[in-house]
Amino acid sequence: MSVFYERFDRHDHGQGLKAHATHYCPGCGHGLVHKYLGEAIQSLGLQDRTVLVSPVGCTVFMYYYMDVGNTQAAHGRAPAVAVGHKLANPNSIVISYQGDGDLASIGLAEIFHAANMGLPITVIFVNNAIYGMTGGQMAPTTPMGLKTATSPGGRGRYDGSPMRMAELIAQLDAPVYVERVALYDAKQRVKAHKAITKGLKLQEERRGFSFIEVLAECPTHLKLTPAAAEQWVKDKMVPLFPLGVIKDISPEPWPEQPEPCFDAARVADVIGGATGEAQKFARGFAETGFGADVAIKLAGAGGDGAQTTALLLARAAIQEGFDATHIPSYGPESRGGTSYADVHVAASEVLSPAAPHPHVLVAFNAPSLAKFGPTVVPGGVVVYDKTVIAEPPPLPHVKVFAVPFAQIAQELGAIVVKNVVALGALQAATGLLPKESLLQAVRQALEHKPQFLALNEQAFERGVQAVEALKRAEIH
Amino acid sequence: MAQTRERPKPVLHPDFCKGCGRCIESCPKHCIEAGTEIDGATGLIPVQLRLDSCNGCSLCLEACPEPYGLDHESPEPRSSEPPHIPGTENLVAIAAKRRVAETIPDVRVPMPALRPLVVKGTYASAIGALLAGCRHFFGYPITPSTDGAELMAKLLPELEGHFVQAVSEVATINHMYGTGGAGLRCMTFTSSPGFSLMLEGLSYMIGAEIPGVVVDVMRAGPGLGNIGPEQGDIKIACRGPGHGTTQTLVYAPATPQEMLDLTMLAFDKAFEYRNPVLVACDGYLGQITGRVDLPSYMVKPGLPDWAVWGDAAHRPNLHTSILLNEADQEAHNVKLLAKYAQMIDREQRADLYETDDADVLIVAANTPARTAKGAVAVLRKQGIKAGLFRPITLWPFPIRALAPVLPRMKAVVVVEASNGQLEDELRLALSHADLHAPPPITNVRHYGGIMPQMNEIVACARAAHEATPSRRTRETEAEAAARVLS
Ligand code: SF4
Ligand code: SF4
Ligand code: SF4
Repeated sequence: MSVFYERFDRHDHGQGLKAHATHYCPGCGHGLVHKYLGEAIQSLGLQDRTVLVSPVGCTVFMYYYMDVGNTQAAHGRAPAVAVGHKLANPNSIVISYQGDGDLASIGLAEIFHAANMGLPITVIFVNNAIYGMTGGQMAPTTPMGLKTATSPGGRGRYDGSPMRMAELIAQLDAPVYVERVALYDAKQRVKAHKAITKGLKLQEERRGFSFIEVLAECPTHLKLTPAAAEQWVKDKMVPLFPLGVIKDISPEPWPEQPEPCFDAARVADVIGGATGEAQKFARGFAETGFGADVAIKLAGAGGDGAQTTALLLARAAIQEGFDATHIPSYGPESRGGTSYADVHVAASEVLSPAAPHPHVLVAFNAPSLAKFGPTVVPGGVVVYDKTVIAEPPPLPHVKVFAVPFAQIAQELGAIVVKNVVALGALQAATGLLPKESLLQAVRQALEHKPQFLALNEQAFERGVQAVEALKRAEIH
Repeated sequence: MAQTRERPKPVLHPDFCKGCGRCIESCPKHCIEAGTEIDGATGLIPVQLRLDSCNGCSLCLEACPEPYGLDHESPEPRSSEPPHIPGTENLVAIAAKRRVAETIPDVRVPMPALRPLVVKGTYASAIGALLAGCRHFFGYPITPSTDGAELMAKLLPELEGHFVQAVSEVATINHMYGTGGAGLRCMTFTSSPGFSLMLEGLSYMIGAEIPGVVVDVMRAGPGLGNIGPEQGDIKIACRGPGHGTTQTLVYAPATPQEMLDLTMLAFDKAFEYRNPVLVACDGYLGQITGRVDLPSYMVKPGLPDWAVWGDAAHRPNLHTSILLNEADQEAHNVKLLAKYAQMIDREQRADLYETDDADVLIVAANTPARTAKGAVAVLRKQGIKAGLFRPITLWPFPIRALAPVLPRMKAVVVVEASNGQLEDELRLALSHADLHAPPPITNVRHYGGIMPQMNEIVACARAAHEATPSRRTRETEAEAAARVLS
């Protein structure tokens, strides 16, 4: 019995009788379950490894008594807390102890999820058909017709019917052991004791989740003597909640959990950190006429690749040592509707990452050009896909480059590279970053798909050439 | 010759017997009878044992719900000896007294020099968490925070960590209560409606002094609202997340870089104070991709002495937030308040931009602060000396950095994507600092998923600048007081 504290110091500062007596009413079933649990922990030699999660309800103070690692959870949440402990230290023996209001009402989601996960933890569910601590209210396990503080006329049609938790839990695939036991006579008590021990043993062997439902007496709220309460459980509860093993499978143990990794090189690799300097191609921040913080908007339909182009641009700029940002439009519109990206490239710091008045606009379709063309600052640059925009709106305040992104991509045999054509066109139209910078970003993006590299490089080059041709035509 | 060892017979400690009678029917030899005399100490009627025919079968012990009611052990009575724990100490103090574990300190492990990452805000935060030594993630999918969770789902298994998709945000925060209670670094990403669901658990964590990091990517509300960016959770974050005397540090990053830096810092602070820490960003920042320089170290966490870990050294530990005795509960509140006072004293952080010569001060946090930074540049081009005060801690509000620059200001413009929740924090901080005559405060506010625009900020700051007489002609605090009194 040494799993119980020598003195219950946590019980009202261990004053007087409270140093050695529980706070439970005479004849309460909880004390018995505590004893069996304590003895099981002791007999299996698990005291040091045990983490006991106390619930809310009459057993909220279980940690007064049990000399193990203790934590006390919110109403209904004990299984969720238990999962947190078990994952933190797979070697700990985690016990979640709950009553019926706690487990079968407010905590339904948590218990089912924990059971369905199936981690090797042990759940002790004490079903006494009533809320004890809050003063005898109806529980999900209260028999029909029983008068309680919240069912003064007896549990009736609006109150649902008693929930058989052990059966419900046993329905799930993951739990390995589910049994319902009782405490009303010596035979049942022996079974209860054994079941609790078995639940812990299964956890020790890492077999999986076990669930032991104990039909227990709450003489106080049944307004019965302890002996009569025992009889009541036998007569009224057992027919509703049949005793016995409901599920008992013996699967392979859960594999041993390796220690979390804190190796710096491994972490660096996992977070995608590249060592060494990126190659730089720019000699200073480009003189585009737009100052030291250039705003670019890329707009099209979802699937046009505007976001990818925007990211390539931002990546390239940052590798050159500049600052850059990208904001995608996100939400429903990013799933098929319009998709636009705001990019800033700045010599030292991007101040405001939005681009309501961009210096540069890349438009992949007519609605985007119509919508954002007029927002471009005077003297700005607009590059658009001539393939799909036959009649561009008049944009006299900006420099316009009409490049057939889609047509070029099609000629190359892959319409999806039209956004890389656009990137090339953007480069040639603005000179914001050197060609090689952007190509480096393209190559990095295709690191794991080298078969597409040549295609993308060609697409980029064709975009550049198209703009250069337009520039030459303008000069001549 | 086989000898049957005599099995010990039960001993009754009448003081600890509740007279429930469960032992009576359990005894096959009818050795136990209902008592007749009231025990003076307990007011209950203990049973009586007549062990003449007792065979030591122990069935009565199996039937007794009291740990020390029936006993095998030595017959000397456990009496109600005087308590050896002074009555003014609460449970937490008692647990601390029993503690035998030594704290294993965190270690900063040098990282190789790495190129800057180009990642979005939520990713930066997730990576910050990994670098801070977080190997346990719990979360429930909710836009626009889910990207961060998805990255954790991908990366954590590669570091032998755990990603758990919880059944709800309620379960999420309670998983954190468990893992944090075991002394490990864990976190979640959530977004406003999910954050609301976590308030219960946050209050329990604060009460039980359990660390953990919650990154709230704030979206528009109330109710389901939409997934556009907002800062509408400032109120619940700063005024105390959850019921009771609750307070947490609330960081407000403005860039992907700060998403990483402040998430890392949040873990350190969570453990330093044994309190959850919030990182509150707006939906926009979660999605903004930018340059993120990586730190020169990562953290290999140790294990605190208070952890409920599941080994011998940590066995005496206890996490609880229930203190039934009102005096104990008050004492615990006083202790928490002292901790909050320490946070107010030590943890204020702010960024001041172009405030040295400014006479119009824009106050903004998160993404609106970046927009405001742009507005400062525009205003300065227009000849208006604007500056930006950006709280990095929303709680504690960094009033100490604000107070010295305030007297120079003709006007203050608070820019936020909420209904004045940041302004309320500002006004409250001014009031607590006895700064009762601040410059006129105007504001640019949006909600519902719309962010304050730069041109609005510029216009508002211009108007405030023009409308307000220079600071010198405004009545002093003393004059105001005199006027009010006369
Ligand atoms: S109210 Fe019922 S469950 Fe609670 S301690 Fe008393 S008898 Fe036990
Ligand atoms: S040990 Fe057995 S015989 Fe002896 S009192 Fe107890 S139940 Fe009766
Ligand atoms: S079972 Fe225990 S508490 Fe109840 S009467 Fe017997 S000795 Fe006393």
